[in-house]
Amino acid sequence: MMPGRQVLAISRKDVESYYSKPPLITWGLLLPAVLMLSLYVKDPGTYLAIAPGIIAMTLLFGNTSMAAIVVTFEKRAGTFERLLLAPITYKTIILGKTLSAAAYGLATALVLTGGLRFLVGLRLTQPQVFALGLTLGSMCFSLLGLMAAVMVREVFEAMTLMNFFRFPLLFVSGVFMPLSQLPWWLQPLALASPLTHTVELLRLGITGTSSFPDALLPSLAMVVWLLVSWLATISLFRRRASE
Amino acid sequence: MNRGSSPARPGSPPPPPVIRVSGLSKAYGSLQALREVNFTVRRGEILAYLGPNGAGKTTTIRILSGLLDRDAGEVEISGRDVAVEPVTVKRLIGVVPDTSNLYPELSCRRNLEYLGELYGLSRSLRRARAAALLDLFSLGDRASAPFGALSHGLKRRLTIAAALVHDPEVLFLDEPTTGLDVPSARALRDLIRDINRQGKTVFLTTHNLQEAEALCQQVVILIKGRVAAWGTPAAIRERVSRLRLLEVTFSGAVNAAQVRQACPAILSLTASHQGWRLEFADTHSALAQLLAFCESAGLRLEEVSASGVSLEEAFLEILQENLSEPGDAS
Repeated sequence: MMPGRQVLAISRKDVESYYSKPPLITWGLLLPAVLMLSLYVKDPGTYLAIAPGIIAMTLLFGNTSMAAIVVTFEKRAGTFERLLLAPITYKTIILGKTLSAAAYGLATALVLTGGLRFLVGLRLTQPQVFALGLTLGSMCFSLLGLMAAVMVREVFEAMTLMNFFRFPLLFVSGVFMPLSQLPWWLQPLALASPLTHTVELLRLGITGTSSFPDALLPSLAMVVWLLVSWLATISLFRRRASE
Repeated sequence: MNRGSSPARPGSPPPPPVIRVSGLSKAYGSLQALREVNFTVRRGEILAYLGPNGAGKTTTIRILSGLLDRDAGEVEISGRDVAVEPVTVKRLIGVVPDTSNLYPELSCRRNLEYLGELYGLSRSLRRARAAALLDLFSLGDRASAPFGALSHGLKRRLTIAAALVHDPEVLFLDEPTTGLDVPSARALRDLIRDINRQGKTVFLTTHNLQEAEALCQQVVILIKGRVAAWGTPAAIRERVSRLRLLEVTFSGAVNAAQVRQACPAILSLTASHQGWRLEFADTHSALAQLLAFCESAGLRLEEVSASGVSLEEAFLEILQENLSEPGDAS
């Protein structure tokens, strides 16, 4: 059984301690906002094609970084040991940490979307699919950040480790162009990437069109990714959390 | 002298063991950190777990508190195996690590309430516990201050308070007074005594042997991962009691080298605050030689008082015995 009260306590404390700090909020918002507005200024007619990719990229970099920084920082400060000494399971700790990082990603993405709606009149065609893409993507990327954090001791090591998969994911996932325009040899890799499916869900949510006929396949792919990263994170925590 | 509170009244049966460690072993690669460690701690006792740096003290605490897996042996807290029921055991124990590791950005009160939340306390209970602990540890006026802004001594106090937030049966204290000034260390020892009087079992590691002697009913001396001695402080001192100690004051100035040369039965001679502290094994020979020396040097013995072996001296003696034993890998 997963004690929900402890999960929420961990998440709330992390939001209070880290995610609600102004530097993190501005860091998470400014880069994608500036990128998006630059594209809009260049060509107001086509910025929508790139908006889902930029929001998904923000989730990928923001959530993996924040989850990894928080856990690595707590490991170095010794405060992570407080969680390991408490009468809670690894699953509770992982879920608590994942929820707070995912909440940060969701909040920044929603503020960004709201800002674009206000500034340039962005409209969501399928808001529920957009919300589903944000939720699954932010949860999955937070778990990937936790996995990296538990394998290393220093923040820079976590960042280096994550860059080994973040940049390749960016390359193969159709962030800047539709899947159909990717070279044929890249397309199988793109289908295996969680970033691809996040981008496609967001694209469906914003424009109503996607490389997939509907939200079912990318949603299922993301659920599989969530499950795999959840199990892998638990396994890594069991082996390495108290090192 | 053991000045700690006694866990059992004379004539009453001894309290049941609350910590039972049997055949505990742990290795880090080729380094054998713990070798067949055995001891028990009875309910309401304070046990001092002593040893030089690298002896395996922190490894033991980490295994007992469920942070580290053991290689072999059995570990039970209140009859429950920490490896089998880690969550249940963690409810029964409070741990104060050797570094004060609370959340620096949270206030003292918020730190206690957050930890109370992790232990599943209701909102009203954790608020009440936090307020009571802040009062008990004289931190009421710093309740809203961030933990990171406290002095080292106050951080230590709040870290101990945090370990008590869920009212545990057993408290593990890893070098609680290290780095504290004398008044703060003394105040903390008084607090540990008070906590023990409330019925908590305390497992204490320290390098301060006087602290151990003042607080503890039981002592375990760990050397190179092995239990070299286990018993009451009196029993540990008795173990090395083949050494006799005398404090003497001469009527005039003496030269230590001359005394050593004239009295070969005196094994050690050190200046004490008023005279000299003599250590010997053969009482008859040592006294005969000392009196003969005084006679020849035209001195009188102004004062002679017997002095007991301190826990520190016993520890050093046991350490010396064990370090000279051959065949250790670490």
